[in-house]
Amino acid sequence: MRAKRFYLVVRDLHLYFGLFISPFVLVFAVSVFFLVHAWVPFSAGRHGTSRKAAALGLPPDLNRLDGRARIDALRPVLDQLGVAGEIGFVQHERAEHILVIPVVVPGRETTVELDYLPGSATVTPQVTGVAQALIELHKSPGPHLAAIRGNWVMTRVWRWLADATVYLVLFISASGIYLWTVLRAERMTGLVLMTAGAFSFFGLVYALCH
Amino acid sequence: MRSATDIFDLWNRRLHYYLGLYFLFFLWLFAFTGLLLNHPGWAFAEFWPNRRQSSFARPIQPPPAGGDLAQARDLMRQLGVAGEIEWTAARHDATALSFRVSKPGQMFEIRADFGARRAAVQRIDLNTWGVVHILHTFTGVRVNDALNQRDWILTTVWALAMDALALGMVLMVVSSFYMWFRLKAKRRLGAAVLAAGFAACGLFVAGLSLLG
Repeated sequence: MRAKRFYLVVRDLHLYFGLFISPFVLVFAVSVFFLVHAWVPFSAGRHGTSRKAAALGLPPDLNRLDGRARIDALRPVLDQLGVAGEIGFVQHERAEHILVIPVVVPGRETTVELDYLPGSATVTPQVTGVAQALIELHKSPGPHLAAIRGNWVMTRVWRWLADATVYLVLFISASGIYLWTVLRAERMTGLVLMTAGAFSFFGLVYALCH
Repeated sequence: MRSATDIFDLWNRRLHYYLGLYFLFFLWLFAFTGLLLNHPGWAFAEFWPNRRQSSFARPIQPPPAGGDLAQARDLMRQLGVAGEIEWTAARHDATALSFRVSKPGQMFEIRADFGARRAAVQRIDLNTWGVVHILHTFTGVRVNDALNQRDWILTTVWALAMDALALGMVLMVVSSFYMWFRLKAKRRLGAAVLAAGFAACGLFVAGLSLLG
């Protein structure tokens, strides 16, 4: 009786957790094709109209800041410009006293050229498309620029969701193995396939590494 | 006698767990390494500071005139090095060739001087964490990098394995939708959960760029 109840609970959790993360699994799976083949369909970015802004309130010593401190100082400036998103690698063109700030939202990249002496900026949005959005989500937040990554609240939320997807995938695969073992008629075929998968996997990894 | 629907149900269910069982180890690798890539601060999985480096120089026979790729392969054969070739800089001198050869766990920076008939090689060995990290991203190509193409057969096989896993995951998701929809008692709650998943995910895929 207890075993039956355990089986039913595991089956329901497998179903509902699986349904919840299925869109996330699709995002990660579909973007694999783009990343593995360096192929971004419909990627001809459409530049929007540039706009200019002046008399911006800038934090003092902005030109001397670097790393996370600079990102934190730039956030209120971007708020004044109405630009939201994850701030990427900022280029500092000292001779022209300009900071070139890429700000990414999945599917859109805005470039802000901030001239910090007069306190003016040019804002150029670019629509990068759904395929690029999937790639960005697949790689976000990722291992690079660790000191500044996650400077936008939605990137931190996505990191949490991506982590949750992994933990739930691990639960679903473990619970799936349990549900399969209950099906006696399928044990042999399943075992053969799992063994074939293990040989393919370890064989390929061995060949790649040696 | 079974109806066509029963047969479809049976094979849809079989497809779901057969794919899941075959790809189990691939899925665990990519899920786990995805987690590691998302958390570069996890000290236990550090590999770059723990790398081992060594350098050596070897005499070489200048490869016959030809393309960069053919000459690099000739040099790799002479040096006993295998892996994916990566061009790190544009070539300006026909008597020298510099490139990187990598595979999960190892990198070779090769600088060949055809005039001096010598090649300087820097070898970097990574620990197990480095191997699993690189397996996640080992495709031989990068978006917006036209300079590098896949040129090692094992990279191509690994890329095909990634494609197969991704296709397998898509098929598992689609088959799970069908299995859930056939369970009338679970339709309402399942639809709510699925809608919540699509809403959360859709916000990031399209919603944020449309709202902002």
